[in-house]
Amino acid sequence: MSGDELTDLTASTPNSHGSTRPDNSELVRVDGLKKYFNVDSGLLSGLDFRFEYPPVRFERETVKAVDDVSFDIRRGETLGLVGESGCGKSTLARTVLRLLKPTEGDIYFEGENLADIGREELRSMRRNMQMIFQDPQSSLDPRMKVGRIVEEPMKAHDMLDTEGRRERAKELLNRVGLDPEHYYRYPHSFSGGQRQRINLARALSVNPDFVVCDEPVASLDVSIQAQVLNTMAELQEEFGLTYLFIAHDLSVIRHISDRVAIMYLGEIVEMGEKEEIFENPKHPYTKALLDSIPVPDPRASGAHGVLKGEVPSATNPPSGCRFRTRCPSLIAPDSFNLTEEQWEAVRAFMRAVERQTFDPLEESAIRNRFFEDVQLYGEAAAVIDEAIDLIALDSARADGVELNGSGEYSEQWKDAAEILLDAFARTSVCAAQHPAKDVEAGEDSDRFVACHLHR
Amino acid sequence: MSSNPLLSVEGLTVQFFTDRGTVTAVNEISFEIQEEEIVGLVGESGAGKSVASMSLLRLINGPGRIVEGEIRYKDRTLFALEEGPDGEPRKREDMLSDEEMRTEIRGNEIAVIFQDPMESLNPVYTVGNQLQEFIKLNRDISKKEARSEAIRMLREVGISDAAERYEKYPHEFSGGMRQRVLIAMALACKPNLIIADEPTTALDVTIEGQILDLVQDLQEKYGTSFLWVTHDMGVVADICEQVNVMYLGNIVEQAPVDDIFYNTKHLYTDALLDSMPRPDRTVERLKAIKGVMPSAIDPPEGCPFHTRCPDARQVCEQTHPDLRDVSDDANIIHRSACLKHDIFNVNYEGSLPMTDETKRQANTSAGTTSVNETGADR
Ligand SMILES: Nc1ncnc2c1ncn2[C@@H]1O[C@H](COP(=O)(O)OP(=O)(O)OP(=O)(O)O)[C@@H](O)[C@H]1O
Ligand code: SF4
Ligand code: SF4
Ligand SMILES: [Mg+2]
Repeated sequence: MSGDELTDLTASTPNSHGSTRPDNSELVRVDGLKKYFNVDSGLLSGLDFRFEYPPVRFERETVKAVDDVSFDIRRGETLGLVGESGCGKSTLARTVLRLLKPTEGDIYFEGENLADIGREELRSMRRNMQMIFQDPQSSLDPRMKVGRIVEEPMKAHDMLDTEGRRERAKELLNRVGLDPEHYYRYPHSFSGGQRQRINLARALSVNPDFVVCDEPVASLDVSIQAQVLNTMAELQEEFGLTYLFIAHDLSVIRHISDRVAIMYLGEIVEMGEKEEIFENPKHPYTKALLDSIPVPDPRASGAHGVLKGEVPSATNPPSGCRFRTRCPSLIAPDSFNLTEEQWEAVRAFMRAVERQTFDPLEESAIRNRFFEDVQLYGEAAAVIDEAIDLIALDSARADGVELNGSGEYSEQWKDAAEILLDAFARTSVCAAQHPAKDVEAGEDSDRFVACHLHR
Repeated sequence: MSSNPLLSVEGLTVQFFTDRGTVTAVNEISFEIQEEEIVGLVGESGAGKSVASMSLLRLINGPGRIVEGEIRYKDRTLFALEEGPDGEPRKREDMLSDEEMRTEIRGNEIAVIFQDPMESLNPVYTVGNQLQEFIKLNRDISKKEARSEAIRMLREVGISDAAERYEKYPHEFSGGMRQRVLIAMALACKPNLIIADEPTTALDVTIEGQILDLVQDLQEKYGTSFLWVTHDMGVVADICEQVNVMYLGNIVEQAPVDDIFYNTKHLYTDALLDSMPRPDRTVERLKAIKGVMPSAIDPPEGCPFHTRCPDARQVCEQTHPDLRDVSDDANIIHRSACLKHDIFNVNYEGSLPMTDETKRQANTSAGTTSVNETGADR
């Protein structure tokens, strides 16, 4: 495919530029962005109270899906955004495109603040910002022929005449690796990889500068995924595109990104150049994510599953550092003066009791399991004793098997967990203070880590 | 391979008889699972992994049928055919009845974890209830004991607050938690073999990591064997000892895990490994496999991979390679179904290379799963 045939595709845009390497000017800047949702509380949602009298009060809760996020995206680069499901990646993407109204904060696109421009202006700005979704199946209207699907955005933005649009659509189909004759077919006869190519052609039809890709290859097979990723990289070079690329697959992120942002529970916890993030991760969450990936090398040491538990609810996120309830490096509270070994044992015991991850045991067995090699003294020892006393079988009730899961006994576990959390978790600096972003001085001034260990 | 495998599959063929034609979803595959071994079945979508693994418990129905092959578990025959008096195949005498399969094999000898956990859990009962019922039925213990055992199992598979979650309904569980419940159910009857069909595919990498850890622990603790179905070579490298690579209904390569990765002997496996982005190093440009997997309704003649294989020669279009030991090490059995290897003796070297043009034609005439992809080679 020669570049010449495509001159008319790029030439018509005032914004396109031939440069294939990212220059350092920013295209998008997000500043203190927040997006909160109000939802019915989990307790009541799903139940129908319409016939109750007196009417039951609906409790509204706030989900902080995106909470105070700031970053910039440079022209021509790919910013990769990763995090576990539910951490707010898609909400962030949609808010950046102003498909959702931000609760607070600013989004500058080419210097223009999308957060406070009018509808009409926004509509015309949209031409420069397109989005590609995960599920190529459901994002294509089955009743529309491929041609119409690709032409739709052009029509919405009054681009070209009928003939011009058709010509451009066919050319784009060719460009994304399909047959221009596919213009006349319905999407159902296409494979997943081909559908994602149709989506690409549609997004590119209005010649955008910025494309947000939300898990664009997640549903594709490995061999097809590679084809689509390669096509995306080529199109980026050719059209000078800037990508915000969302994925949960760290291998894909490593391949496609120039810089990477790691998101946890509505916040960006670490950001930096790709190689830096993968070779020298600093935030405990980034490290844990990287350690979890099964490496396609049987000789690699498999160190996965370092994180226990799941992402807590965004309606009531942990105070201070949101990662602290799972953080393997949670910092010891100052007050007890614990050694590293003592703190490790206490932390492990506290989490095991909190999550009730072990079967009821007698006191000696608990001590053997958690405190075999460490001796505690003073205040810390007293707290541990009190907790063990509550959950140990001998002191609780005799018949352990029957007790498993019974009401009163499980209250005692909860009490024990509260005592431990009050003493050891809630007094940690990680719970008391929100970690400030530590921006590293030096050439890579964009690297930041939000963790009390790095300041 | 050892003389006494836990499970052995010989020449298994499964077909679906559809309006559009006969689909050979699984084509004469053979493999074994040893005691205490984790065996991988890996391949892309539509390769036949699910059909193959569900056949082992004879869970294929509807338009589908096992048409050939023998499946043995310990000294029992799960499936076998013989020629009847009229020349038609019929069930062999030693093959277990449906009743025997249900009461003696499924659950307590061989358990299954399905791809979609919601399908295996009943939405109207609490998770604890279902687990307890299941244990009570299969283990002949009192309701109270079953409850306590159920909570213990939930804890064992890493569900926090097990006693509390016991009372909750499946929809109140996250995907990862539901998958754990299924593992708990599979484990409940202490089976010798667990067939797991992509149990971590829909999960976050941190949760997947927890489950892979769990499986390795359980395997060590109880000596359970696993057939692990996946499309992820990372997971294969991580937990499997023995690997079967599937393409278009065929096992194309079969070897110990280290040999699959470091001494690859089939071009599809090779291409698959090359097309993956890596978590452990930066790959600037991915080597994509050209084209798409052909349709199983009308698969290509000869080697099923020849329409996409970079080294395909004309002989590959004519000869269907079976799986043969191509190992250069007497201590290792490494099977491959690629005609490049001398053992096939088809004069591969003397055959003319297929050009892209002839391959594309082959691809078209074989009818790809959908519209033929042009330019998909980038
Ligand atoms: N009920 C059915 N009727 C007709 N064909 C079927 C049926 N079930 C499976 N097949 C066909 O059998 C072949 C193998 O399918 P199978 O589901 O085993 O693949 P798989 O490797 O498990 O794929 P995935 O990775 O997508 O789960 C496919 O061609 C599929 O279309
Ligand atoms: S601030 Fe504390 S809890 Fe948060 S990541 Fe750092 S060490 Fe862990
Ligand atoms: S038999 Fe031929 S087409 Fe098949 S993998 Fe080997 S070289 Fe390729
Ligand atoms: Mg499957």
